[in-house]
Amino acid sequence: MSVTEKFSAIRKGLLEFLILRIIASDKVYVADMLKRLGTTEFATQEGTLYPLLSKMRREGLVDYEWQESDAGPPRKYYELTAKGKSQLAELNDYWKYINTTISQLGR
Amino acid sequence: MQKVVTINLNGNAYQIDDAGYAALVAYLEGADVSLKDNPDRAEIVADLEQAIADKCQGFLGPHKTVVTAAEVTQIIREMGPVEGSASADASSSGASARQTSSDPAGSSAPRRLYLIHEGAMLAGVCNGLAAYVHVDVTIVRIVFLFLALVSRGGFGLVYLVLAFVIPPADTPEQRAAAHGQPFNARELIDRAKKNYEGFAGRKDWRRRWRREQRAWRRSWHASRWQPEWAWGPSAAPPGAYGTRILSGAMVPILSIVSVLFFCFWAWAVYSLVTSGQVLGQSLPNDVPFWVGILVLVCVYHAVAWPLHFARRRAAYYSLGGHYVGFIPAWDGALSLTFGILAVWMAYHYIPEVREVIKTLPDVWKSFGFE
Repeated sequence: MSVTEKFSAIRKGLLEFLILRIIASDKVYVADMLKRLGTTEFATQEGTLYPLLSKMRREGLVDYEWQESDAGPPRKYYELTAKGKSQLAELNDYWKYINTTISQLGR
Repeated sequence: MQKVVTINLNGNAYQIDDAGYAALVAYLEGADVSLKDNPDRAEIVADLEQAIADKCQGFLGPHKTVVTAAEVTQIIREMGPVEGSASADASSSGASARQTSSDPAGSSAPRRLYLIHEGAMLAGVCNGLAAYVHVDVTIVRIVFLFLALVSRGGFGLVYLVLAFVIPPADTPEQRAAAHGQPFNARELIDRAKKNYEGFAGRKDWRRRWRREQRAWRRSWHASRWQPEWAWGPSAAPPGAYGTRILSGAMVPILSIVSVLFFCFWAWAVYSLVTSGQVLGQSLPNDVPFWVGILVLVCVYHAVAWPLHFARRRAAYYSLGGHYVGFIPAWDGALSLTFGILAVWMAYHYIPEVREVIKTLPDVWKSFGFE
């Protein structure tokens, strides 16, 4: 089992956290998110992202609004809700905490 | 040459070829199944359709109006399998979606028996049966021919009965069902309506959805009314008036030539079977009998296919590119009339044919009809 395979479940679990971070930095639509993730370890596809975003919207973390685009049909631009912002802060803290734990355990 | 299907992706009309249509339909069906328990299913599927539409747009240009099957395959690969609902078994349902999308002719698909006119020799019975049982059409034809020869023509009646009883596959949806592809547009509309009744979403979303449904219905009707012989881009240029008159005159002539050729061919097969000779030429001793039959079948294909194609093309142009329902019916009636006329003449002037027809009652008895 390769290194990337061993961490595939972890990468998958981190996706929601990363989406929150991307949306927090800028108002984005799905193609933007895919492009930003595409160059990283966390590259994903529409088939995964749309269901995940719909789940996050149901949980009240993100919301979207339709915006006209210069080329093509209107797009859904996603943004964080207040609940999403507080969740992101918690996740950021927890992620730092995990990192500290990892660096303290063994070497 | 590939037939083109017009589809509606989230309110935009796109033209894709037949194979691409089947793949796309299987993908969206797979997405729909794996999102079965998701309360936002309709919206996610609409989002996916929009994403596919955007990708389709990337493949089109001013001189390219059709998305090919290879491009659809690439789009589906880029889209990736659709993950299931937010439940714990997300990975397993993702796997099942992958399975569904890679298997467009799923075994659970409701396959129906239709006459398939594309590439048919006569009425499309063998073609439809071949699609129904997933066997190459040549094998079905050889079986039919063999049975017809063994029963001394009696099995031809079975073919005739089948040709009248089985409905023809006229729309892309029916053709999909004939090949057992697990989907048709009618089912999607019905299901979407059901979803809509239970849908309690935001107001703008609802309005948008209604608009999409109207566009979808329009494009569905448009694809229904594409003439079945309009290969390539659907809007074929209507010919000039002279062309139309000429092609209108060609239709009955080509029909008669086709029927005469078929009669000649049937006679050649019959004489090969009974006397081992065709036009006074007997087979060389070292060539087996079945090779002779095979050669005759190939010759028939080689001659009949261009005739068939020319006839459909002529019928198409004689109407200036418009589809009118009575033309195939008229064509069929004409073929039938000449067929009957040919049999009648053969009965009166060719003693062998008379003998075959006289043995038909015995054949009926041997089938147990009496």
